[in-house]
Amino acid sequence: MALFEIFDPKAAPRPIGIDLGTTNSLVAYVKNERPIVVLDCDQEALLPSVVSYGDSATPIVGRLAVTRATEHPRETIASVKRFMGRGADDPETKRLGTYAFVPRKEGEPNVVRFNVGSKIVTPVEVSAEILRALRRLAEDELQSVGGAVITVPAYFDDAQRQATKDAAKLAGLDVLRLLNEPTAAALAYGLDKKQNGTFLVYDLGGGTFDVTVLLLSDGVFQVRATGGDSALGGDDMDRAVAGELLVQAKVSPEARERPAVVRAFLTAARAMKHALTDAPEARIENPLGGELTLTRARFDELCGEIVERTGAVCRRTMKDAGVDKDGLDGVILVGGSTRVPLVRGKVKEWLGKEPLADIDPDKVVALGAAVQADLLAGEGNPDDILLLDVIPLSLGIEVGGGVVDKILPRNTTVPAAARASYTTQEDKQTGFQIHVVQGERELAKDNRSLAEFTLKGIPPMAAGMARLEITFRVDADGLLHVTAKETVTGKEQTVEVKPSYGLDDDTVERMLLESIDHGEEDLAARKLAENKVEASRMLSATRKSLDADADLLVDGERENITKAIETLDRARTGSDAGKIQLAISDIDAATKEFAGRRMNRAIARAIAGKAIGDVEASVETALGIDLAHEKGAKGPLPQPKDSEE
Amino acid sequence: MSLRDPFATFGLPARFDVNLPELERVHRELSRAVHPDRVASSAGRKDAVEQAMQVNEAFRVLRDPVKRAEALFQLRGIEVGETHEPKPPPDFLMEVLEQREALAEARAAKDAARVSALEIAMREAQKNAEKRLAAALAPGASADSAKAEIGALGELRFYRRFLEEVSAIHDELLG
Repeated sequence: MALFEIFDPKAAPRPIGIDLGTTNSLVAYVKNERPIVVLDCDQEALLPSVVSYGDSATPIVGRLAVTRATEHPRETIASVKRFMGRGADDPETKRLGTYAFVPRKEGEPNVVRFNVGSKIVTPVEVSAEILRALRRLAEDELQSVGGAVITVPAYFDDAQRQATKDAAKLAGLDVLRLLNEPTAAALAYGLDKKQNGTFLVYDLGGGTFDVTVLLLSDGVFQVRATGGDSALGGDDMDRAVAGELLVQAKVSPEARERPAVVRAFLTAARAMKHALTDAPEARIENPLGGELTLTRARFDELCGEIVERTGAVCRRTMKDAGVDKDGLDGVILVGGSTRVPLVRGKVKEWLGKEPLADIDPDKVVALGAAVQADLLAGEGNPDDILLLDVIPLSLGIEVGGGVVDKILPRNTTVPAAARASYTTQEDKQTGFQIHVVQGERELAKDNRSLAEFTLKGIPPMAAGMARLEITFRVDADGLLHVTAKETVTGKEQTVEVKPSYGLDDDTVERMLLESIDHGEEDLAARKLAENKVEASRMLSATRKSLDADADLLVDGERENITKAIETLDRARTGSDAGKIQLAISDIDAATKEFAGRRMNRAIARAIAGKAIGDVEASVETALGIDLAHEKGAKGPLPQPKDSEE
Repeated sequence: MSLRDPFATFGLPARFDVNLPELERVHRELSRAVHPDRVASSAGRKDAVEQAMQVNEAFRVLRDPVKRAEALFQLRGIEVGETHEPKPPPDFLMEVLEQREALAEARAAKDAARVSALEIAMREAQKNAEKRLAAALAPGASADSAKAEIGALGELRFYRRFLEEVSAIHDELLG
């Protein structure tokens, strides 16, 4: 730290971007309008996403944890991201690995549990440890950390996103946004290159694979389609190579069951993979003594199938986006696994282009996240950049015969809302069982189950008389919120949401309180930090709007707003969270009407080529009516009379 | 039942023929105008979320030929959905059955070329149905002339489902 950077306890909180990766994690922020990655005391940017639990209350995270992995294979969790939002019996738990999984007990949330010796932990808690380590790293450099943008694979489903958000909450982070990794990468590239056109982002990380096709147009990043596989990555290459090395080292089948042996060979396999990036043949130390060799040709054979699977996903995503390879202006490589020569060669062959990889593929996602955090915190210039992302997998509910009625199809731009109506199947039916699923398959059982709801207390009516209205809303984080009400009686019903995977809110709350008991968190401090973040965001945005649309102000309005700005500016330098909150509400009230006028002007300008009067009339018509797309009542639930597609 | 008019949201004439790049451009510009990330006050952001959802909803309807046609029928007061639409004619059902069988056979035989041939034929049929819809749902066309072509909507749904299946089979055959 330079001498003149004196520690300031009232330092303004700074927004950060976090890439929570399968293999490595990073944190970045924007300094002098450029995103930079935070380095640790060893000048390293990458924090290995490895958490090792010992006897002490605080687990070890990062490189030190990696060194403990061989000796403590069950107590050391690597690649925890692959278990996020997954059930206790997920296929991922059955792959080559070293962990002691705890079987699920009746009535417990359906999540993976690791027995790490001293206790039992869930992937959310393990990820929270990594996020805490990153937060501390950022605090060392910035003194005060504000809101965070955390990246997730574009192909993460709702349960996986929710788990990530829960982990951030446990780590005491104020999440500004969950941002899709390929979109973050495109943001870092787009800013750098100031290009327009259609780009494909090929993101092969340690455990996840994403493809996103997006259109860049004067700062708007419009995602046209996204696809992927949230259980495919460099780890799978390591497993394939480890299998080969175990054979080569003549390890007995019994020894192959031992976690320490498996961990040692997975580590050796990764070293082999890295060595083969630059050499046609590599020689590494055999963990059991002697040497092991592998040629790149053999490596390519072992990993060929994995790489081919990514090709099929690319083709499907391009089809969804309605582009062929000639329609692509560029291909961007992201993720450490794109260093593998086989991957680079195949991508070039499939897409007919020399891919761009000039921003370090390990860092580009965190850099993009930092830029978005800066924008959302009101620091950057939001007039330049806008991200329009999509949901990766269709969202629907199970209707009669176990068939899925898709309510929001994949590649719908977020935020999104849609509504569908259903009716009762039987006379005097007084409840609805609602099953929310995510995926493309026709039958509910072949898709990811997200939640089950029961709507009770419907007055007995003849079959087909009751009308149930289900509304799906997906927020900018890609998270789904479902509400249901029975509309004939006009009686609104409260819905019980029971996530099929992951932790319910009570569990997360309890974990949070437990971590506070351990003195790791301070709720009041967090609230203050959150309010300060919101305050700076609002100040910056309000000042900009006053400059941009001064002519829309009516008499006395500027004075009111300016007064509110001054009050908030004073409040935010203090340490009274309530006072800041109050000043925020005041500024909200003072700008409400002005904001409405600004939005109307913006809409009118957006619909170019039309007289402003026309546009205002049509916008009024459009906005005055119902929010969600009304469909006809689609028949009984679970038995539909009439399916929509 | 109220229906929001997606064409009005986009400031575009209510017609079946749309230009995709133009749709994307308007979507981009409207998003710039209403996106919650660009709004200062938190109350204003809530309104902006609602408006952004509406813009995205309209975009979803307009870029999907089936949904777009449904919206145009509904704007003319014609109910859509399988219970409201007339049953498809028997010869069409017959053809559907044959095409599905042919696809199942091609899949079983892992005959990618045959799957592609079926795909091409189906795309032709899809284009034809879209042409009929475009004429029936032209801005000046009456509700009666629109209603006369409502069968094309059912066909379009079938072609889309068929082509989705083709796409899944292609993926499967390619591994």
